[in-house]
Amino acid sequence: MKKSIYSIMVLVCICATVSVLLALTNSITAPIIKKNEQKNANAALLEVYPDGGSFEQMNIKSYTLPSTVTEAYSAEKGGYVIKLETSGYSSGMVIMCAVSEDGKVVGTKIIASAETPSIGGAAADKFAPALVGKEIGDIDSVDTISGATKTTAAYRSAVKDALNASVILGGGSVDIRTEEEIFNDNLDAALPRAEGKFNKHFFVEVVEGVDAIYVAENNTGAVCIIGEQFIGVDANNEVLTECSDADAQNVKNAMTTIKATTTTELDLTAYEGLPSQLISAERTETGNYIIEIKGAGYGIVGGDEYHPASGEYIYIDVSLTPDGKVIDCMTISQAETDGIGSACADEKFYGQFDGKTEETYNDIDAISGATMTTDGYKKAISRAFECVKIFEGGNV
Amino acid sequence: MKKNNCLSVMLNGILKENPVLVLILGTCPTLATTTNVFGAFGMGIATLMVLICSNILISLLRKVIPDNVRIPCYIVIIAGFVTVVQMVVHAFLPELYDMLGVYLALIVVNCIILGRAEMFASKNTVVKSALDGLGMGIGFTLALCAIATVREVLGAASFGGNAIAFLSDYKIEFLVKAPGGMVVYGLMIALVGALTHGKSPKKKEFSCAGCPSAGICHANTCAEGKEEV
Repeated sequence: MKKSIYSIMVLVCICATVSVLLALTNSITAPIIKKNEQKNANAALLEVYPDGGSFEQMNIKSYTLPSTVTEAYSAEKGGYVIKLETSGYSSGMVIMCAVSEDGKVVGTKIIASAETPSIGGAAADKFAPALVGKEIGDIDSVDTISGATKTTAAYRSAVKDALNASVILGGGSVDIRTEEEIFNDNLDAALPRAEGKFNKHFFVEVVEGVDAIYVAENNTGAVCIIGEQFIGVDANNEVLTECSDADAQNVKNAMTTIKATTTTELDLTAYEGLPSQLISAERTETGNYIIEIKGAGYGIVGGDEYHPASGEYIYIDVSLTPDGKVIDCMTISQAETDGIGSACADEKFYGQFDGKTEETYNDIDAISGATMTTDGYKKAISRAFECVKIFEGGNV
Repeated sequence: MKKNNCLSVMLNGILKENPVLVLILGTCPTLATTTNVFGAFGMGIATLMVLICSNILISLLRKVIPDNVRIPCYIVIIAGFVTVVQMVVHAFLPELYDMLGVYLALIVVNCIILGRAEMFASKNTVVKSALDGLGMGIGFTLALCAIATVREVLGAASFGGNAIAFLSDYKIEFLVKAPGGMVVYGLMIALVGALTHGKSPKKKEFSCAGCPSAGICHANTCAEGKEEV
């Protein structure tokens, strides 16, 4: 018994002594280790901000920053280094951007990316130095590197985000919403009861004075867009937003028109010579046509091949007047190369066909870098014109 | 006479009882850290420090530590010194710390250290134990450096991280991998065996008495073919 108590005492004493020894060593080495680690972390920051002194990481969760910002450091000598992650030609482009106290780019560098090294990668090397010293207003005037539009565009917007973030980190406030977010906020403001859920109305009748209508998903009304104005209207066509009498009348007329529309499906077998790409067609009471047609995208051979990688066509809805004028046009589905041909699903592209006729439909702006997709789309629209002629009894 | 004895204790560890090449202890760190001469040297020195310190302390406490808890006591002491060395290396030689990685912490379970504590320090005076630790540490370092030199120069065409230009087209990359390390290790053991021919204990005896450490260990009991329980 005595022996085992002695054994325990000895072991406890040794353990206690060793613990004290470790605590002492740790109290000496811990600060040095921490300093070394900080120095290593600072090395990357000093590369973009050589005069920054030491850096301290900020808690970015306590600020509302652009979504691309992943880390932020405040520099001892003023200003910030901001780390952003964005997508250029491919995703995972990580950028460091140092911003001075007066809101100018001090230095910037791509620290990780999956861009094509010889194109996007090389372009970023040329683009980054050109950004130094620029303020937010000057960023757009920096020349795009030809051949690497996507990389430079992503870089440009990331640097803008960094400049905006530095203002917010400094206690200021900036509108960091994207164009799309601003648009959605405007819709929401015009008709809050829709709870932010809208579908763009596909026009099948010619509507004067209203550019676009977004119908609330919960059927509580709609928002009509006239120029820059967003005008809310309830389910009983009562205008909710203050606007001129003329606009209010236009909105009422438009809403009445779009609600009155009834359509009948056309029997395609009753017509001869219709293109095989035509999927379905409907006629409205007023004689307009709604045509669903498929177009060929990338990999087009004579205008009739689908996308070779995905094996998919571009599906398009287009409404036309009997005399062959496009009322509205919309991409239903597509599988073009993401980030290039996929722009054919963007309203900025297909919206261009509104109001075009067989003589003028060629005048639209092509999607940059996606000539084949654009050509396939145009071919589909031209076939829609043919269909209308056949339905109207003309000869093609 | 006594001074001579002390010197022989130290020299023992370098060749005759070299922990890596004769006792075949510490094989894991030997294979793992000998891809780079700098790393091997660092590992050797770190082990040397721990060996000397733990040998001294265990020798000092050899009368105090009761037999039934000696292994836990040794382990606590060794782990303590290893952690101290680890913290010091981390603070002052961060490059070496990154290179050795987990093997630095694993010095705790390096059987050379526990082996010397159990076999030598717990039975000998402080001075002798310190010299034994020094000799064993130097032996370990030298063995590691020798293996690392062969592996790095022939396998990676560099020395301590500095590239050797004229060898760069004749790399034997196999040597840098673990099996290559094993081959070099085996050849080194053969070389040391040849060098100490006649001096090293007779290998035909496979019992406890055939052990190179038998002389300082349980010589009497070994001779009778028994082991102390």
